[in-house]
Amino acid sequence: MKSLRKFLAVFMALTLCLALFGGAFAEEEPSGSQVLRYGTDTWPAGYDPHTISAIAATRVFNQVYETLIGFNRDMTYRGILAESWETPDDVTYIFHLRQGVKFHNGREMTADDVVYSFQRILGQTEAGDIGALGSSESYYGGIDTIEALDDYTVQIVLKAPNAAFMSNLTSTYGAIVCREVVEENDGSLSAVDTMCGTGPFKYSESVVDNHITLVKNEDYWQEGAPILDGITYYLLADESARLAALRTGDIDLCSLSAMNLADVEGDANIQVISYQSNNYTYLGFNLSNEALQDVRVRQAMSMAVDRNMIIDYVHNGEASVSTFVAPNLGHWVWDAVNESPLYTYDVEAARALMEEAGYGEDNRLSLTMAAGLLDTIRDTAVVLQQQLKEIYIDVEITNLESGEYVDIWGIMDTPEAGFDMMCGQNGSGTDPNRAVSFFFSTTGGANVWGYSNERVDELCQLAVSTTDEAEREAYYMEAQQIIIDESPNLFFASPMEYLFASSALRGYEPYAADASIFTEAYFVR
Amino acid sequence: MKNYIIRRILQLIPVLLGISIAIFAVLRMIPGGFASGMLGIDATPELIAQVNARYGLDQPAVTQYFQWIGGVLRGDFGQSFRSGAEILPEILTRFQVTLELTILAAVISWVIALPLGILAAVKRNKLVDRVVRVVALLGVSVPGFALSILIILVLSLAFNYYPPLNYVGLFEDPLRNLEIMFLPALILGTSMAGSVMRMTRSSVLEVLRQDFIKTVRAKGASERVAIFKHALRNAMIPIVTLIGLQMGSLLGGAVVVEQIFSLPGLGQMTLTGINNRDYPVVQGCVLFIAFVYVLVNLVVDLLYAYIDPRISYD
Repeated sequence: MKSLRKFLAVFMALTLCLALFGGAFAEEEPSGSQVLRYGTDTWPAGYDPHTISAIAATRVFNQVYETLIGFNRDMTYRGILAESWETPDDVTYIFHLRQGVKFHNGREMTADDVVYSFQRILGQTEAGDIGALGSSESYYGGIDTIEALDDYTVQIVLKAPNAAFMSNLTSTYGAIVCREVVEENDGSLSAVDTMCGTGPFKYSESVVDNHITLVKNEDYWQEGAPILDGITYYLLADESARLAALRTGDIDLCSLSAMNLADVEGDANIQVISYQSNNYTYLGFNLSNEALQDVRVRQAMSMAVDRNMIIDYVHNGEASVSTFVAPNLGHWVWDAVNESPLYTYDVEAARALMEEAGYGEDNRLSLTMAAGLLDTIRDTAVVLQQQLKEIYIDVEITNLESGEYVDIWGIMDTPEAGFDMMCGQNGSGTDPNRAVSFFFSTTGGANVWGYSNERVDELCQLAVSTTDEAEREAYYMEAQQIIIDESPNLFFASPMEYLFASSALRGYEPYAADASIFTEAYFVR
Repeated sequence: MKNYIIRRILQLIPVLLGISIAIFAVLRMIPGGFASGMLGIDATPELIAQVNARYGLDQPAVTQYFQWIGGVLRGDFGQSFRSGAEILPEILTRFQVTLELTILAAVISWVIALPLGILAAVKRNKLVDRVVRVVALLGVSVPGFALSILIILVLSLAFNYYPPLNYVGLFEDPLRNLEIMFLPALILGTSMAGSVMRMTRSSVLEVLRQDFIKTVRAKGASERVAIFKHALRNAMIPIVTLIGLQMGSLLGGAVVVEQIFSLPGLGQMTLTGINNRDYPVVQGCVLFIAFVYVLVNLVVDLLYAYIDPRISYD
């Protein structure tokens, strides 16, 4: 009798376990509609991956087109269209392509397409110049030759060593396009239905300024991917409209500002997916202004800013103190917070520096500040205005509209800009070369401040000419120390990015270097 | 009448030419050119020059203008800088959405405004009149975007409803199309209704005080005949003028409402064009909108003669 009872107890426990775990596993199987409905705030500015880099467009490009390589979460490289690669010397890169990869028109992608795509970017195809190659040029202008060694091997030779080259290859600017589609359209890929890549989703139909539908690429090279049947991007420009549509289940995913976090708290149907961005907020100085040429004034301002207050007040605490190499870049980041005295909030010391520079209560410094585009930037500007008051600086803020912002940004090293300072947000990119050299070397494309330091230029040059990671790291560390010490810009916070999603969405784990990775996403509806 | 129409149409030419010059100049005066907007952070003077050369923006402004207007006169509005698409066919496609929205909004506003306006006039200073006046004031003063957001929030929170996102044309799927268009049309319609209601009330009131209405009543005609057959027709002129003006501006695209409800209309197209500094798109849209506007005005003027036979264009 006793043993029968024991047997029954064990049997029941086992059944219970099976039911529980079985249920749990069954629950995680994809169920219900597997179409992801994405609420996008802006309509793509165009459909040619080689000329457009605006986020609303790259969101779509990332599904349709693929590049040779991409970034993993830990910022190491992963092969996408390239299965493996080797670098026999500092300037030569040999990529071994994945075999059996098909374009959406059914033809196999080969080394010829890779060569053709880069020739197109560089304006060397018969179809000719495609126009705004500018941005692509700054990414791939260093390519000397590119040739197909065989159907599945491509060799790229650079004019000079460039350690940032691999990182540039991950950009959608380096998308591999289908030669015949380009040629059929006289070299132009600007129409929406010319989108033909090798990506997990392919273009199906669209109504301009309303929606773009992508459907699953059944021939996708990655086994079992994608799980989703398609992605539809709906234009929902208004933030409250996006939130309302998410609440009613009419969309599954959208980006919203941190302001909405409290609104969705406790809503079981909505999950918040967040990740640290590669962006940082900054205050740039127009160095044509004599007062700002005095490094003591810039340093005093750095010490007078309470960065944690900016984070609490402007970003609801959802950001990290940052320099121009955002915390996300890991081992490339110099720990200014603990190492630089300029990152310690110390109004007394800041005031002393200002007094040393000849300012005081009777001789206050008046400066004008342009603030751009994002609400967080406008709020940051107000906090700065308040905090700088403490060190004899009066700031007058002007909020700029986007066209004005771009125009003025380009001439921030001249009095014609009309502003002494500009508060904005920049991106560190995925390689320190972009974060350091592009923004702060004398010839850097985004060094609009008139900042120039010979040692920084030298370090940038050294760092880009070697592929030895440890050496590069040492060069960039030194450059960061110099730049932070000289403070041509002040840096404040690297905000979190937020995506609000239906709680039925699984398998979508975005990160700063790749927020559009949907190959493993699915729904349990 | 025919001569009048021809004369009016001829008068459109200088008006449209003036508008074309104005929009061309204004677009080039706003900060942020097409090239710097497109290149963004990567813009360098050389690249900007390259892009400008490609799109002919390096030519003198006068040359650019004559090239553009010459094309327009031949029915060629050019191509979008951004998408490369032909602009005129795109405008005509978008105009269908805007036209449908305008007609629906107008019908809704008439259904609300005319009966209530007349009722308020007839029952002057009674409770009905006061209620109508408050409602009309609300209609006039609540901005469309605020009403749109409010309605979206209320419907989503209280009824878990959001209008369909996938736009379909009226002839593809009429029912679904009407479901998509209903809320934006209702919002625009109620905004329009406010002023039409006020105009109807005051206009009918004024006519009701006139001698010929007394005569009508003295003849023993019923109140219905006095109001609908005699008073209303005479009160229609200012109402039709107002409706014409409203429809004219709505046909230019209800930018905010189209944007909130993601309707691919003319307003949305213009807005995207402005954001991208896509000059030919904005120029084409504005010129087309101006053309529609003056045309609607002409139709309104012709309607006067139909409503009031005393007005003659001969």
